[in-house]
Amino acid sequence: MNSVGEACTELKREYDQCFNRWFAEKFLKGESDGDPCGQLFKRYQLCVQKAIKEKDIPIEGLEFMGPSKGKTENNS
Amino acid sequence: HPWDTVIKAAMRKYPNPMNPSVVGVDVLDRSLDNQGRLHSHRLLSTEWGLPSIVKAILGTSRTLTYIEEHSVVDPVEKKMELSSTNITLTNLVSVDERLVYTPHPENPEKTVLTQEAIITVKGISLSSYLESLMASTISSNARKGRDALEWVISKLNTELEELKSTREGMKQAMAAASPEK
Repeated sequence: MNSVGEACTELKREYDQCFNRWFAEKFLKGESDGDPCGQLFKRYQLCVQKAIKEKDIPIEGLEFMGPSKGKTENNS
Repeated sequence: HPWDTVIKAAMRKYPNPMNPSVVGVDVLDRSLDNQGRLHSHRLLSTEWGLPSIVKAILGTSRTLTYIEEHSVVDPVEKKMELSSTNITLTNLVSVDERLVYTPHPENPEKTVLTQEAIITVKGISLSSYLESLMASTISSNARKGRDALEWVISKLNTELEELKSTREGMKQAMAAASPEK
């Protein structure tokens, strides 16, 4: 599955792999000891936000998205 | 299928041959709330393969339409809620969908999906064209109906007149025919 930004597809794949594993093996089993994919997500997200701006996709509030309360922990 | 299986699949729904028009999925944001629920905000890119004339009519140079999707997964309560709405072509139509996946109350090997979609057609141009088309059809039919009645009435009046003059004629003829005794 591609990303909206062609350049982001690889970053997306890496993040997706990490997320899907965590989601199935940890989250759904009730072990939410933090999402280990934080770094991958950050890189991927930056790429996507850039693509969205470039393609002028009308998403509200995207530029204000940032760390919010209860956001997943970054594990390095 | 049990809830866990369905939810894992739902998170990885695209691509699939049943939804060939979904060409891109991106996660815009994801977070855990203080109740341990996972919130995801995603962007779906869809390509309908609109012929260029349709695009010209829609007044868009975009080939892709975009959908925003929010989902909340509660692993304790075993509930996944999704809601999505289109964020392009919004001047013409709104398609709002809501899906809820929960385990089947009697059979844990099954999952229940409740789904609803609200489709709203908007757009000054399209709806007012339809409205004025309907209004003119109704009024021209009404006029036709009035004309038809007028025609029937006048036909009846003519017959009535003819009947009257015939009766008069007959009366006169009878009067003339019956000699005074």
